[in-house]
Amino acid sequence: MTDGIKRRDFLKVLGVTGASATLTGCSEPERLLPYVVAPEEITPGVATWYTTVCGGCSAQCGMWVRTREGRAVKVEGNPNHPVSRGGLCSKGHATLQHLYNPDRFHGPMIREGDRLRQGTWDEAEQLLAAQISATGNVMFIGGRMGPSMSTLVDQFVAAVNGTRVEYDAVSDAPLREAARIAYGATGLPSYDIANARLLLSFGNDFIDYGSSPVAHNKGLAKMSAVDAAGSKGRFVYLGPRLSTTGLNADEWIPIRPGSEAAVALGMASVIADDVSAAGPYADVLRAYNPAVAAQAAGVSEDSIRELADRFASESPTLAMGPGVGGHHRNATAANIAVMILNHVAGNVGRTVHYDADVSAAASSYADMESAVSAMAAGQVGVAIVHGANPAYSMPEASGFVEAFNQVAFKVSFASAMDETAALADLILPDRHFLEAWGDSTPRSGVMALQQPVMQPVPHFDSKPAGDVLLAAAAHLDNDFGATTFYEYMRNGHMEMHDDSMGDFETAWRQALRTGAVEHDMGTTAAPSQLQAPDVALSFDAPALDLGGDLTLLIHPSPRFGGGEFSNSPWLQELPDPVSKITWHSWLEMNGTTAEQQGIREGDIVRVTSPHGEIEVPVWIYPGIREDAVAIAMGGGHTNMGRWANGSGVNALALLPSESEVPSGAMVTLATTVTVTPTGERRRMATIEGSSDQHDRPIAPAVALADLGHMEEAEHDEGHGELMELQGVGGFVPVPAEGGAATAFPLEGARHGEYADAHELPRWAMAIDLDKCTGCSACVTACQAENNVPWVGEEQIVMGRDMNWVRIERYFAPGDIDATRAGPLDVRFLPMICQHCGNAPCEPVCPVFATYHTPEGVNAQIYNRCVGTRYCANNCPYKVRVFNWYRYMDENVPEPMNWQWNPDVTIRTNGIMEKCSFCMQRIRQVENRAALEDGRGIRDGEIVPACEQSCPAEAIVFGNIRDENSRVSQLVSSERTYRVLDELLNTQPAVHYLKKVTFHELGPGGHE
Amino acid sequence: MKKHWLIGGLAGVFALAGVAFVQGGGSQDGEGAEGPVESGQPIAFAHDQHAGSEPGQNNMDCQFCHFSAERSVDAGIPSVASCWGCHIAIPGTNHPEEVAKIQGYMERDEPIPWVRIYKISDHAHFPHMRHINAGLECQECHGEIQEMGVLTKPDEWWTPVKELFFGQDPVWGGDNMGWCVECHRRPDENGDQQASTDCAVCHY
Repeated sequence: MTDGIKRRDFLKVLGVTGASATLTGCSEPERLLPYVVAPEEITPGVATWYTTVCGGCSAQCGMWVRTREGRAVKVEGNPNHPVSRGGLCSKGHATLQHLYNPDRFHGPMIREGDRLRQGTWDEAEQLLAAQISATGNVMFIGGRMGPSMSTLVDQFVAAVNGTRVEYDAVSDAPLREAARIAYGATGLPSYDIANARLLLSFGNDFIDYGSSPVAHNKGLAKMSAVDAAGSKGRFVYLGPRLSTTGLNADEWIPIRPGSEAAVALGMASVIADDVSAAGPYADVLRAYNPAVAAQAAGVSEDSIRELADRFASESPTLAMGPGVGGHHRNATAANIAVMILNHVAGNVGRTVHYDADVSAAASSYADMESAVSAMAAGQVGVAIVHGANPAYSMPEASGFVEAFNQVAFKVSFASAMDETAALADLILPDRHFLEAWGDSTPRSGVMALQQPVMQPVPHFDSKPAGDVLLAAAAHLDNDFGATTFYEYMRNGHMEMHDDSMGDFETAWRQALRTGAVEHDMGTTAAPSQLQAPDVALSFDAPALDLGGDLTLLIHPSPRFGGGEFSNSPWLQELPDPVSKITWHSWLEMNGTTAEQQGIREGDIVRVTSPHGEIEVPVWIYPGIREDAVAIAMGGGHTNMGRWANGSGVNALALLPSESEVPSGAMVTLATTVTVTPTGERRRMATIEGSSDQHDRPIAPAVALADLGHMEEAEHDEGHGELMELQGVGGFVPVPAEGGAATAFPLEGARHGEYADAHELPRWAMAIDLDKCTGCSACVTACQAENNVPWVGEEQIVMGRDMNWVRIERYFAPGDIDATRAGPLDVRFLPMICQHCGNAPCEPVCPVFATYHTPEGVNAQIYNRCVGTRYCANNCPYKVRVFNWYRYMDENVPEPMNWQWNPDVTIRTNGIMEKCSFCMQRIRQVENRAALEDGRGIRDGEIVPACEQSCPAEAIVFGNIRDENSRVSQLVSSERTYRVLDELLNTQPAVHYLKKVTFHELGPGGHE
Repeated sequence: MKKHWLIGGLAGVFALAGVAFVQGGGSQDGEGAEGPVESGQPIAFAHDQHAGSEPGQNNMDCQFCHFSAERSVDAGIPSVASCWGCHIAIPGTNHPEEVAKIQGYMERDEPIPWVRIYKISDHAHFPHMRHINAGLECQECHGEIQEMGVLTKPDEWWTPVKELFFGQDPVWGGDNMGWCVECHRRPDENGDQQASTDCAVCHY
């Protein structure tokens, strides 16, 4: 061996010289920067947690924020919060990306001619004060804000003799107004979904958006899960289009858009023996019966009559009124109709609660319309916009942009550029909610504190809007008794504090620690009697502007809301829970309609209404009526940020600017449209291969009637037989002595354990598909926790999506019928690495980069991986994702990389990756247990990011070798199965519990 | 020996080519805020003076400064205030000018930009507390650090070549998994290996 050079030595030399060249050339040595003065609460390498309130949307869920060395790296749901009770939606997770958004302003911006220049805060505040005193006529246009901020704004506006307009693009105004008219209630009604046995949603997409999607999602999952007695609540969806909420229904009654009132009243007329049950609405009830309702809704009379009978008998029941997507010209009346239905069924005070204690002002589109007229008429000298983006979220037809431009001095508090800020003369970038103080009252009797979880991101010289208002007020010689908003807010709370509850300081600290405080508000009796309307109401189907044969449904996006979340690459890349499309917009159209018009999926069509037109690709969807098309809000930003701009189209261009009477909400269901092909096509940026299971038992279900004797039911159908996939001929039974092999699981291979049982745990997961609602919160939670890159629209089109969790959404052709009422059975299945005991990926890896750990986890060792992709090709679950480019380096601008989880390796190009069961969290708990005298790990102590985030509590992780663990208990259910295990013998560690349906199922749990 | 000649020659050729290629890339003066000192460290901090047990040395416990080694994955770098906490009263007998720099950082409210010496790759995780709590001495990985003066990073261009011929730096295995695994494999009192060598223990 002394002559010649071995290949290995040659490579070494190459490596060495390369390395030395790098060293001599470019490396400024790595620096270790200590604190100057170490903060007491920070231990390097150990996470510090803070409670706060999510400022993403009006739901105001409780939040825990994990910080590392002073940077927020992950947000999680706070289980102590009385409303959200743990769990967080995708939008909540993505608020971190808005915190580190590189498109935020670097400081206050002052307009000079056509451009904005950066100024100092002193200069900006003096300018604001000077303009207010010189011009006067201040108008404050504000979005949703906490009670203290709201008080401050009122005080400020009063001090400068101005006016205040509240504006929330996606508002519940008709529901709020209906509750006021019908019951004299002051807030939104609260629903007890979990305890309903029959739930009706009249197009209310309560898990997609609305007053509290996380809490409602939790309620829906509890209601529809099979209980110990083998019964479960039934969910019926009545509406023209199936949203994520609708896809979870057990039955779908595809009623015509705008016919909710007729159906609700038709049902109420069946339930009420006597029309006087409806009190002051007896006359209304007299005019309706199931025949009238069937006529209006376009469904059979029998289906309405039968549903009404069940609604009366299967008590407790609950009906939820048309939601944000159904704001038509009679939306308030439709909400009242649903309230009447609840009333006659005796649900008020049981599953629906009205509140008279909240003093919440309804935000109203009608106020904005008058604000626009005032601005257009030159009656506004200084317009201040805070927490709203009307230039995007009001229809073009409203004329907001032109009117706003008439204002002499325009001020925006936007922290990053948006369409409204782009028009402003002065921009005063507000803090992100994770950097600022605030408070919230998600419902009466609950006060939650929003505390800063980190120092402001130093790249951006931002200032809390409250501080700016106080400073401006001081310049105008007003003293509000505080110089910072923190002081102002604390003073307010101190004044409200009741000393009988103990010392204020203690109560304050307690509130900061738990995140929320509940007060007993039981002073006034909850309203429960119907009151006569004080305004004229029409329960008829709403008038639509005629622009064609198809009714246009515009709904908030479950990913972007009304568009305020659009500049987040996580949300852009999150597959829509319904369509599985990422990034761009699409038009949903029924297959029959599309066929009639000669349109195929992917065709770009021109949608024309009397008010405008847009071009958008078509997605064929059986879950929409043949006479309707739907498009989500949130696309088509022109001036927001690098990820939002140019992605999708803004559907509001098709709408008139009109507010509903009497609630003043923006009318979104207003017009019919024509759809004409442009002749162009595109490939959709979808992650979906097929919506059909193709007869494979990927997401089987079980009929409720079969529970308790599933074994027999399956044997009857010839299942349980071990099958083998042949190269030719599909699946055939595995031959064995004396006929086909039936022994399954294979002997000695329970849960994929190895023969040599040892003391180590076997990590496993149970996912209850009866609870999973497909909301996709786990997808974003995983992305945030595990430094999973986003790849961009073009890469998705090439099939290079990198999410570790994929929510499969299955319906077979013909499963969903939009022409008549019937059962609905859509299956959601969160597909992650199955951590197979007998993993197909492992033997094909030439470098042992993927292998089985002694704890039963299928591990992926990034530094071993050479990127052959053999493993991904051999994985039957398609859960391995390959990093084709240096997505993490190239797509993540400073300071968005501050969000990276320091406990997880950043992967580069050429590396295969996949779900690791949150290995870093397992190690953390192991480390903690080892420090605490080497105690064992408690069941439930290791919580992967997906489980933590799941509002439905469908995911449970633990040690399956411990018979008492929660996961073992769940796995012992007769509903348990493992995906494709019977066919491939992969022995996965991820166990699914079959969805339970009310209707009978075909062989193998298929339709 | 013939093999070594060949390897040496090859190494030389490639290295020269590499150096020529990157000459324009900038130099590597270790410039601290107070100007460079020979070691590249901003302050000529001597571990032996603090932690050594020879007469005139202070025999301090490592964790007095590296405060979180026992409870965190990171050992912790002392804050400037923590240095100044002692040195406000101890001006330093040997190198008062170095000690004075601490005051400078303190007054300017600046961190001391120490040059990092010990580092394992980003794709490996080394939880300090598990090792300390298992009874390991710091020296087992970091070498006889209490006898070392100013720490320098062996990053001369020829260091890797030197390692090729003379093996790893005897004190610190650096990016060398064999160093870790050799210790993990050692038998414990029962004759089992004392720590797991499962890949995913460190790589995730």
